[in-house]
Amino acid sequence: MARQEALHPGHPIDISPALPAAAAASRPRPVAAERWLIWLFLLPTVLFLVLLLWLPFLQGVWMSFHKWPFIGEPEWIGLQNYRDLFGAAYFWTTIRVTLLYSLSTALQLALALAAALALNQSFIPLKSVWRGVMLMPYAMPPVVVGAIWMYLLDPDLGMVTHYLLSWGIISKPIYWFSDPLWAKWIIMLVASWTFWPFMFIILLAALQAIPESYYELAEVYGANLWRRFRVVTLPHIRGAMLAAVIIRIAWNLAKIEQPFQLTGGGPGYETSVLSILTYRFAYLSGDFGMAFTVGLLLILVTFVLIAPFLHGFQKQIKQARRR
Amino acid sequence: MAMHTRRATLTPKVLSYSGLAVVLLIVLIPYGYIALTAFKPAEEIFDVRWLPRVWSLDAWRYAIEFEQFHVYIYNSMIAGLGAAVLALCVAVPGAYVFGRKQFRGKDVMFYIIVMALLFPFVLLVVPFTILWVKIGLYDTMPGLWLAYQVFIIPFAIWILRAYFAELPRFLEECAMVYGCTAFKAFWRVMLPLAKPIITSLMFLAFLVGWNDFLFSNMLTTGQGPRTASVIIYVSAVGGERVEWDVLMVMTLMAGIPPVLLYILAQGQFLKTFAVRSY
Repeated sequence: MARQEALHPGHPIDISPALPAAAAASRPRPVAAERWLIWLFLLPTVLFLVLLLWLPFLQGVWMSFHKWPFIGEPEWIGLQNYRDLFGAAYFWTTIRVTLLYSLSTALQLALALAAALALNQSFIPLKSVWRGVMLMPYAMPPVVVGAIWMYLLDPDLGMVTHYLLSWGIISKPIYWFSDPLWAKWIIMLVASWTFWPFMFIILLAALQAIPESYYELAEVYGANLWRRFRVVTLPHIRGAMLAAVIIRIAWNLAKIEQPFQLTGGGPGYETSVLSILTYRFAYLSGDFGMAFTVGLLLILVTFVLIAPFLHGFQKQIKQARRR
Repeated sequence: MAMHTRRATLTPKVLSYSGLAVVLLIVLIPYGYIALTAFKPAEEIFDVRWLPRVWSLDAWRYAIEFEQFHVYIYNSMIAGLGAAVLALCVAVPGAYVFGRKQFRGKDVMFYIIVMALLFPFVLLVVPFTILWVKIGLYDTMPGLWLAYQVFIIPFAIWILRAYFAELPRFLEECAMVYGCTAFKAFWRVMLPLAKPIITSLMFLAFLVGWNDFLFSNMLTTGQGPRTASVIIYVSAVGGERVEWDVLMVMTLMAGIPPVLLYILAQGQFLKTFAVRSY
């Protein structure tokens, strides 16, 4: 019992045992042994991140100032790549589609939250089976899920078109993946369907860590369902939720396999989200300077999109550390 | 557990059941259709109907006997497991320190991680391939494990850090007052408390390896540790005509193991919490 209560003290009603006075009163500076531990623990992480990600990143910044063909000598051209990009009409199409595609995260969050809240209730039977079922879209490679949807949405022979036609919702088959109006919405919806269980797993783990006694206490104080959600549930899952939203925005925008498989970035540039544009420059036109220029702008756009969540997340962690 | 004794009123029940039903339908309608397609003979693939007229195992036989698909499933399994273990060995200590300790350069570290999270991975493929060939990791399992860390470590640290930071701060101090070293406080006190989140993360990390196409495709050859996702991708877009029935069989074979694994891991979660409440 004591262990359970000690897990999340401070919110909403502090039931943690009194802190040992000595430990609480003075936070000692880390002693030598602890400092060793800190650096020893950090070392592998820092090594991995710097070697696997930061060196390529810095090299990319360097490359974006060059005309850098796949084969042949690179040539310094300063900001020319950036000027070319901002001047091009397709670039702004790309930005628009990227913003639309990032909305997928909101849909994912809605589905994941509904499923996680429902499956954290005690009265639902066969919970672990349903949890497994929820996982299914994410339990197979996104390229596979893409293939499934290509089959289901096939304009001539697929299930979806068939039912939409027979119910009279549409009058003639729609070529979902090449229709300029639909293609960008379809890749967004398929991405939402594919990736939402990622958030579901994280949110469920966070919900499971809330001690039942908090809900009981809130009920004793007469809190209704909405109040209980606001006062008990939300504060405890906010950190996990923000972390998951940040990761999903970043990954939705950086991972390319599925939308590329579905539409190849077309028609025209209608579904070329920034990551696909990067791919087109790098591997279809062999222009690595331009590819990294787009890549850096992708980082910038992603950063702008996650900035508010990042801010909230940092605040949440600081608060947690004050408790 | 206390959960069972609590009186559930009507509103949460209605909300929960309807939420559950909607999400289940969204997941199960496409899947049900696919699962049944896997049992259709080739000529029925594009009849839009749920039940096959003739039940057939041809596609299953073809996938296993001709394509040797189970071998690739095994490869995916090893790729995912190795990646998950390696990732947690690196990320758990890092995230613990990052979430709970003060040290110089912490802010710099924060941006190092954020940037790692945002990097357009597709640009890493060519540099990695060149490097992997040079250092002999190309077409090997450890090479895949290492490459997957690009995805896993940043997000694992990100999530673990939040979890560790939210554990009450006096825990280690108590342990140390009672004579634990800093390391023992981590190993004996903090690690067991983080078990549910570590299990979930291990599972998500496994899925990164299991699902990855980008690196699995570029860093392996037909003779090496090809994973199932590459094989499925090739059969979905490679040939002139897609064998949809075989593809659906492969889809099911690739989708079921992680689901079972997750259901089993759930037992692990429940055990953790059963101990916690009484």
